Amino acid sequence: MNESGSAPEILNLVTYLERVLKDTPWAKFLLLWENVIFSLIIAVIMILLGFLALRKRKLIPGRAQNAAESFVGGLDDFITGIMGPRGRRYTPFIGTLFIYILFMNISGIIPFMKSSTSSWSTTLALALCVFVYVQYTAFSELGFLGYMDRLMEKPRGFLAFSVIYPLLMLSLHIISELVKPISLSLRLRSNIWGDDMLLAVLSGFGLKGVPLLLFSSVLILIAAVIQTVVFCLLTTIYFAFILIEHEEEAT
Amino acid sequence: MELLSMLSANELVAQTVSFLILFFILRAFFWKPILKLLDERKEKIASELKSIEEEKATAQEIMADYEAKLKTIDDAAKAEIQEAVLEGQKIIEQAKSDARSESEKIIIEARAQANRELAMTRQELKDEVVDLVLDATEHLLEEKMSDREDRRIVKSFLDNLDKT
Repeated sequence: MNESGSAPEILNLVTYLERVLKDTPWAKFLLLWENVIFSLIIAVIMILLGFLALRKRKLIPGRAQNAAESFVGGLDDFITGIMGPRGRRYTPFIGTLFIYILFMNISGIIPFMKSSTSSWSTTLALALCVFVYVQYTAFSELGFLGYMDRLMEKPRGFLAFSVIYPLLMLSLHIISELVKPISLSLRLRSNIWGDDMLLAVLSGFGLKGVPLLLFSSVLILIAAVIQTVVFCLLTTIYFAFILIEHEEEAT
Repeated sequence: MELLSMLSANELVAQTVSFLILFFILRAFFWKPILKLLDERKEKIASELKSIEEEKATAQEIMADYEAKLKTIDDAAKAEIQEAVLEGQKIIEQAKSDARSESEKIIIEARAQANRELAMTRQELKDEVVDLVLDATEHLLEEKMSDREDRRIVKSFLDNLDKT
């Protein structure tokens, strides 16, 4: 904590501009949209990288296209490996999430940048997108009754007539579905926030803290990748549960 | 409630909208083209592999065909060689038998010639002996008989001599 009692924070582009513009409406605006600004910077970088990678699209790829294809191919194999061939439909969504979260996580160790994922609003927004898409997939794949049946743990025979059990299961599953975006977003936000705090504290040590800062940066980089993988893996599993359930019903 | 205080509705909406915009842009201009490209390449590689397999099968068929033809040619050549060898042996046998009969003929001719020559020589010898005996007898008897009578006497003597 600093003198004002708030959490320590490293100087970044927005806070620097806010200090320069002191008490002007622009300063307030920048401070209010700080995380969104950094997210938009990342989004623009991603779009530019995507454009550069596929600018000269060829069947025999160049270096940039090759890197992009390797990444996309690997991610697609990973997703279809879990979900089956139908998982290909979700590769763009999960892939975008992966790169977006990874870049936002890593941006915390780049000078004058900030991890937008250290804000719960950012991670919850992403988790809500996942939640809505998963629920949409569940309703479209299983149908309303099929999905309700699944949420009630498919009561058959005696269990179907005992109203309490299906209702209890339904309420439990609804709660678990609602908790998913909260747990998903809080896990990511808390880990990245912790990393940012560590960097902020270590940067306060001055030159003495540089070796530790460098060492922590490596650890933070690893943690950033792990948290991205965890978020995307869980998202993939949420989709896989629905698709596998649907395939089992079909067979 | 403290947890909720960390949330900002404006930021939540803005982040959702920015992510969705990013997703739709990247889906249209990055993910779909690159996935399509990967599929095309996969299909191209699969079709090329298939054509390679087909060509390999065709090559194997041609090779088997050639091997069969080579075997037929080999068998035919072997049969021809065998035939030639047999023909050669036949010719050799024929030549041998011809040579044998020729040599036998030559030997027989030679023998006949020798016998003829022997007979002639004998005759000549006889004639000479007759002459010598006549001369000797003439000297001994100092009596000249008619030549024709002399020859008859001596010849009969010699014939008697041969018989004995």
